[in-house]
Amino acid sequence: MAAIQLQNYTLVITGAPYSSQAPQTALSFARSAIAAGHTLDRVFLYGDGVHLASAFSAPPSDETSWPAEWAIFLKDNDIPGVACVASALRRGLVNESEQKRYELPASNLLEPFVIAGLGEWVEGTMASSRVIYFHAGG
Amino acid sequence: MSTLIVIDQPPYGTWAGREALDMAFSLAAFDQPVALLFTGAGVNWLRKLQETSEVEQKSVEKNLSAAPIFGVEAMYADAAACVRYRLTLEDMVAGVVMSESSSDLLNQYKHTAFAG
Repeated sequence: MAAIQLQNYTLVITGAPYSSQAPQTALSFARSAIAAGHTLDRVFLYGDGVHLASAFSAPPSDETSWPAEWAIFLKDNDIPGVACVASALRRGLVNESEQKRYELPASNLLEPFVIAGLGEWVEGTMASSRVIYFHAGG
Repeated sequence: MSTLIVIDQPPYGTWAGREALDMAFSLAAFDQPVALLFTGAGVNWLRKLQETSEVEQKSVEKNLSAAPIFGVEAMYADAAACVRYRLTLEDMVAGVVMSESSSDLLNQYKHTAFAG
């Protein structure tokens, strides 16, 4: 049997939870990749994908909380989750320092996600062997 | 590592194209080779004299004209899509190169990213 070539992936999620399947599909992919021995360099949230990092998402109790599921997965596997700052600020996703800077009434970034620039995505494309995009489609 | 950013949606309807353009500028800022391919309805990005005041958005023409300054190596337009949307090089912003075969073009780049 041929040996599996192990990959180091960067995942980019651009579809929002509850309006697209992108976060679920990406999580299934990520779990399968880790189970098969691959590694994830980082997960980058871009465009509408930043909504996945909202601590204010409160779906009904009989529905999966995709932000919570992703947060647990990232913590358990010690994988960095990064939301693009420009995408995040446009869409109302802020950490405490951005809250102070823009004098907003609250912050809502879910741990362990962090907010950073597109340079994190560029680094991901250089550091990993594959970059996979999860779009909203349609 | 060379990257081709593909924009296949028309401007103004979603933010995806603008954010794809930001990805291209970001790669260029980090000295990574990057080019843009406009295909399908995305070729409408390249039209000259876009009037956007009615939709209260900034014209994407200004962003596109900044692309070479920021270090984006090329802006390609898919030739078949241009025929479909009745666009010739004269109708488009300066610096556009017609791509007769987008599949050949895709093969020249190591990494491809689509606008969401």
